[in-house]
Amino acid sequence: MKVDLVINGEAVALEVEPTTRLVDVLRNHLALTGTKDACGRGDCGACTVLVGNRAVLACLTLAARVSDKVSTIERLAEDTTSLREAMADHGGLQCGYCTPGLVVRCSQLPPGPKTRDQVRWALAGNFCRCTGYTGIVESVMDQLGEC
Amino acid sequence: MALRQHQRPDSWEAKTSGSAKYTTDLRLPGTLTARVLRSPHSHAEIRSIDTSRAQSLPGVKAVITAADLANRCYIHLGEGFSDRRALASDRVRFVGEEVAAVAAETPEAAARAIELIQVEYRRLPASESPAAALKARAEKLHQHADDNLALNISRTYGDIERARQRAETTISGFYRYAPATHLCMEPHSIVASWDSHKQRIDLWVSTQAPYFVRKEVANILELDIEQVHTHEVAVGGGFGAKAKAGTHEALAAALSIRTDRPVRLVLDRGEEFTTTAKRHGFEIELTTGARRDGSLTHRDTDITVDNGAYNHSGPSVAVFATMLPGSLYRVEASEARARLVYTNTQPGASFRGYGNAQMNWAMESQLDELAEELQIDPIDLRIKNAHVSGDETLTGWRLGSARLVECLERARDEIGWNEKRQLAGSGRGVGVAAAIHVSGANAFEHSEFSGAALDVNEDGSVDIRFAGADAGTGQATLLRQIAAEELGVDFDDTSVTMMESDGTPMDLGAWSSRGTVWSGHAMANTAGTAAQALKEAAAEKFAVPPQNVRLEDGQAKCGEDAIDIGDLVVLINGADAGSLHVEGGYLTDVDKMNKVTGISHFSPNYAFAVQAVEVKVDYETGKVDVVDVVSVHDSGTALNPTSADGQIVGAVVMGIGAALGEEMIYEGGRLINPSFLEYAAPRPTDVPTIRPIMLDAYDSAGPYGAKGLGEIGLVPTPAAVANAVAHATGVRVRDIPITPDKLLPLLRDSIEALNAIRRPSLWWTATIRALYPRGLFYVLHRWGTRFARQARPAPVLDLSAPDGIDEAIAQHRSDSAFISGGTDLLVARQQGLCSPVRLIDLSTIRSLADLSDGHDALTIGAGVKLEDLRRHTLTSGDNMLLEALDDLANHQIREMATVAGNLLQEKRCSFYRNGFSCYKQGGWTCPCYALLGEHRFHHAVIDAHRCQAVTPSDLATAFLALDADVTVSGRHESRRSVPIGDLYSGPGESVLAPDEILTSVIVPLRARRRQSAFEKLRLYAGDFAICSAAVSLEIDDGMVVDARVALGAIAPTPYRAKRTEQALIGTRLADGSSLDRAANAWAQDAYPLADNGWKVDAACGLIRSALRRFT
Repeated sequence: MKVDLVINGEAVALEVEPTTRLVDVLRNHLALTGTKDACGRGDCGACTVLVGNRAVLACLTLAARVSDKVSTIERLAEDTTSLREAMADHGGLQCGYCTPGLVVRCSQLPPGPKTRDQVRWALAGNFCRCTGYTGIVESVMDQLGEC
Repeated sequence: MALRQHQRPDSWEAKTSGSAKYTTDLRLPGTLTARVLRSPHSHAEIRSIDTSRAQSLPGVKAVITAADLANRCYIHLGEGFSDRRALASDRVRFVGEEVAAVAAETPEAAARAIELIQVEYRRLPASESPAAALKARAEKLHQHADDNLALNISRTYGDIERARQRAETTISGFYRYAPATHLCMEPHSIVASWDSHKQRIDLWVSTQAPYFVRKEVANILELDIEQVHTHEVAVGGGFGAKAKAGTHEALAAALSIRTDRPVRLVLDRGEEFTTTAKRHGFEIELTTGARRDGSLTHRDTDITVDNGAYNHSGPSVAVFATMLPGSLYRVEASEARARLVYTNTQPGASFRGYGNAQMNWAMESQLDELAEELQIDPIDLRIKNAHVSGDETLTGWRLGSARLVECLERARDEIGWNEKRQLAGSGRGVGVAAAIHVSGANAFEHSEFSGAALDVNEDGSVDIRFAGADAGTGQATLLRQIAAEELGVDFDDTSVTMMESDGTPMDLGAWSSRGTVWSGHAMANTAGTAAQALKEAAAEKFAVPPQNVRLEDGQAKCGEDAIDIGDLVVLINGADAGSLHVEGGYLTDVDKMNKVTGISHFSPNYAFAVQAVEVKVDYETGKVDVVDVVSVHDSGTALNPTSADGQIVGAVVMGIGAALGEEMIYEGGRLINPSFLEYAAPRPTDVPTIRPIMLDAYDSAGPYGAKGLGEIGLVPTPAAVANAVAHATGVRVRDIPITPDKLLPLLRDSIEALNAIRRPSLWWTATIRALYPRGLFYVLHRWGTRFARQARPAPVLDLSAPDGIDEAIAQHRSDSAFISGGTDLLVARQQGLCSPVRLIDLSTIRSLADLSDGHDALTIGAGVKLEDLRRHTLTSGDNMLLEALDDLANHQIREMATVAGNLLQEKRCSFYRNGFSCYKQGGWTCPCYALLGEHRFHHAVIDAHRCQAVTPSDLATAFLALDADVTVSGRHESRRSVPIGDLYSGPGESVLAPDEILTSVIVPLRARRRQSAFEKLRLYAGDFAICSAAVSLEIDDGMVVDARVALGAIAPTPYRAKRTEQALIGTRLADGSSLDRAANAWAQDAYPLADNGWKVDAACGLIRSALRRFT
């Protein structure tokens, strides 16, 4: 079936199956490999992208059901330079595989100071095995401020 | 000064922006997709393999079996331990073992080809535990291993007899450490590309150790190692999983050679869980002896290691394990016996800690028990026995610097030990544990050496080449820091290329915490050589002695003279001659590990760590929360503090996971929890901020004084947690993970339910349950499952987007399914639980997404996203719903999933979900696997009959306590309203016809006006409930006048605890003991399974916790 998507601001027309996943459209059809397919079942958050303003899981999103514009790490990196630098400075990344999904998720955090607890709960959908999360939380706190 | 300070990690920009390329991201033209056919049996003979149908499938380019490969085993440890072929030839020994592999043009063709390979098996008796494998008549797994013992050793250090006699007290105990999985974010993956003209194969592989991959691929495929080349890729985590070759690389390479095309093999997450080498489970019988004053005399240890079906690093882990009781603390003697037992389960191999995690768990738990016996403070006891700088251990480790005492004292201060030890028995407590670990091990061929190379370019930049790999540890960054430091250039003027085997001196990779010391020395030596050459050239130019020249700011300087080092390169080489190329390395002078006596100094230096942990224990549920961790390290100099902190914190959190949640659970040799969802590793909400402290000391054997760090952070964590729990509660668990089911029964007496004999309604169920272990299960499993309904996966041919509800219903056929959020349907479909051909998209129907709150009833459209509902309840006063939603899955799931989808989701029993032919999956001839299998957390304790599963929806529980109704639309515009309590006919099964749509949930005003609370017990934040309690009370002047108490995950459907409700009515909130009695009242009707009776108590505890919140 034909679908028309807007991905990172560009109109893209594709031929897909009903069950073609957005993560495969991004990674295989469009060579946007920043979004990772680490579990394929919506358990780990590594495939997080924005559909409209919602941070959602591309591995559980059927491309044919997407009606809002899609933003991936490739586009959002430009708007999150300060956060990404904070991650580099506060131990917010190690192997980097979970990082794109995390950055995308963080781009949707409401602005303003947070407690560390609030940040942890907000990021509960992004699994990381390397950092133990302290560095990630500190990076976000550095950006949003502490309350 | 590039060292000893923070530098941003190498490739941080690429990693954070998504441009870093991992193996899984590579797209070489013409790449074929490979897949592996795996054994469904834990032990079987292969009688025949017929690949003809697979071979003739269009798109399939190659199919290989053992017959297509040389008769070779993986080398692994060599020395007679090689026992595993790349593809099974005559026998399979664990579920998931590789039997055949295909390469095809598309993933679909590859998957289809796998299904077409026909293998005839003859099943053999399987031993799924060491106990089973050690039985006299157990089937032998390997010809060479009598009694299924891959290794059976005893190591004695010191005069053990004398030490035993000198002991004035001994403590003995049995400790168990469950097998765990690494859970790297990037699964094992490889792209292999054979060039038949050049007769070479190029590999891009997610690995910590390119050299070992080259070595094994060359070995299996009968190539020269010089023909096998590795290339740089980003690597998404290792932790030991990728410290040697896996079992996918040789297969991909073989397929590439056969097809003359690049071949890509990526394990899916299920394979990653079930087939990659795991952490060995240990059973440890340990005795610690001491004098009354606390000085340790001896340790006697008997270790049983579950090897799994093949050796991998098992023998090495076992040998290392026997050294540890003689290495941690000054002890007079140690005797350790280790049996490495073959079992028909997934093999074990290296995993952060490498036997030290398991041994430390036992030793440091027991040391606290000794402290209690001797009435000595646990930290004082450790200080008393601590090694000090210059010591040599019983095992021959010459310690160099050893600042364990300082670590202990610092940990004591940082955690507030003296003050917090007063908390004993209060439910809050502190505990401590210490560890020693190596900085790399000179234990294998070539392990004495690490090489590096660098080029100083004419523009003054420096390019490093290093053959090992950085899976996230920070090694790449460290190499650049060292080069920058030695050559006096800016960190940003350096670059590093890892993993390229061509033109790069050898390094064995990152494992055994060798990265800092081995590669650090190699880089320092290499850069030092380059620096010397530059200084000598400058010295000649300046006419001064070389020792007067210094390198800084990219120049060579002496007094007023300065010259850019790039210009020096031209001077040295001549113009147009390129860079100054220097190769160098580190050749260690430590011993090769003595595997016979176990006594040798095989690491340049040894690191120490002490962790102090504070926990809070919920006496109502047995849940442990870690509230503070301080991890103090003697790892020498901190060469990159941020990176060091990161290694510590990551390792500690892995240790918390091991202590409190992570275990691989098997049934019949099959892993039943092969997903992030079902394997309880920590999420950000499950751990506190970890406080790493590097003492930043100096060890003369390390580069710039550094020692290893990568593993040790994990090692003492489980014991520190257990010790804190013991302090907090007075009870000790010796079997990790310490999940609530293990702790709660030790904390409180169980509430008795009425015996089944006195309840005629239970007699039939009781009879079935009694017959299951007496043959009924065996018959149903062995024979009944042959008649199981087969899941018939079908492609979805149609996806429609109706505008309205009635249009959607009209489109429905027998092979249709409605899809809303899709977060459950798509997963269930992957798992073979449904196979719709037509999907009808309800997300396009606007009316379903209406949320109407007129401050009377709350009318929630079925299609409302969970996160939208949650945001609404932040201010609407519906706090029970808010509490339920806050701990429901996570943000991303809630942004996709809908209210109706949550209510109607399929049951979550791991057997049902993971392909066991159970009663609900396969039909009435099939057994329920949970009855005798794993059922501690997610199965019913009341009202269950043939299926023990529960309804997973937390919203269902909350809505039940809120008297909600759901509205349903059916064919021909029929409408009906169903009270939520009547919505479910079984676990995750509703009364809706297949062509009915749940359209809204209505919460009446009266219920919204009541006070309410939602309490939930789960293994990690957002997980499905182990049990939950939704309590909604109408209070008048301090007295309960109306009550709803709904329990989730207690019964097959959401359960109204009516006895509790009745007991609550008329009770005053101030009357605590009446409230407690009321909370427990429902429990007399419970009829739990053998191992989930504790949930009855936990659920009563949740009700009590909820009631305490009412005013």
